[in-house]
Amino acid sequence: MKKRKTVFVEGPISPSFIANSIEKHQTKTTIGAHDIFLGQVRADEIEGKVVQAIDYTAYQEMAENKFHEIREATFDKFDLTCMHIYHSLGKVKAGEICLFVFVSAPHRKVTFQALEYLVDTIKKEVPIFGKEIFEDETHTWKVNN
Amino acid sequence: MELKILYFGMIAEATNCNEEEISLQSGSTVEQLIHKLNNKYDKLKDLSFNIAIDKEISDHSTLLNASSEIALLPPFAGG
Repeated sequence: MKKRKTVFVEGPISPSFIANSIEKHQTKTTIGAHDIFLGQVRADEIEGKVVQAIDYTAYQEMAENKFHEIREATFDKFDLTCMHIYHSLGKVKAGEICLFVFVSAPHRKVTFQALEYLVDTIKKEVPIFGKEIFEDETHTWKVNN
Repeated sequence: MELKILYFGMIAEATNCNEEEISLQSGSTVEQLIHKLNNKYDKLKDLSFNIAIDKEISDHSTLLNASSEIALLPPFAGG
């Protein structure tokens, strides 16, 4: 079995991490198209209170299994050269990045399709939970649509 | 049989713990477990959740056994 890739990172995903990831692909010259999705924590207003941060937790072993399954299924479905998925655990403040999905292929069309499929499937199937924390330290629980 | 149950997110908040052991008759189903947990935790009735057995979402008729890892999963919020 192929070695599983690490998906979870502690805290927010920094813009420099994303830039480094892009730079690493400059040696892969069969690639002609990249597509990137960045999920950012929104300062939603809920019943008069504004979300300051989301504290992410996961059923980690199941989540890693799911990420692996989704990854394999996406490679089967779409002709991609490579694929990278990173998701935060712990606290991510409003405005910071919590999900980074990066797909690459020789030509653009398949990257658009694969990226949409990947992000939708991650949101639907991976057991990650988000506690939305307000300024006064109270909280509510985020639910994906 | 003794079953190890894991709780996550808002479910862990309702049960006030991340995991515990629950005792059920051998041959019990997911539905019987939910019934027992609803009796133990009042708040659970108002919450929506799925049950994963050995890290796969299962339906209510699934039979449990003592070696299963059972988890109550509230709605997902990744991304």
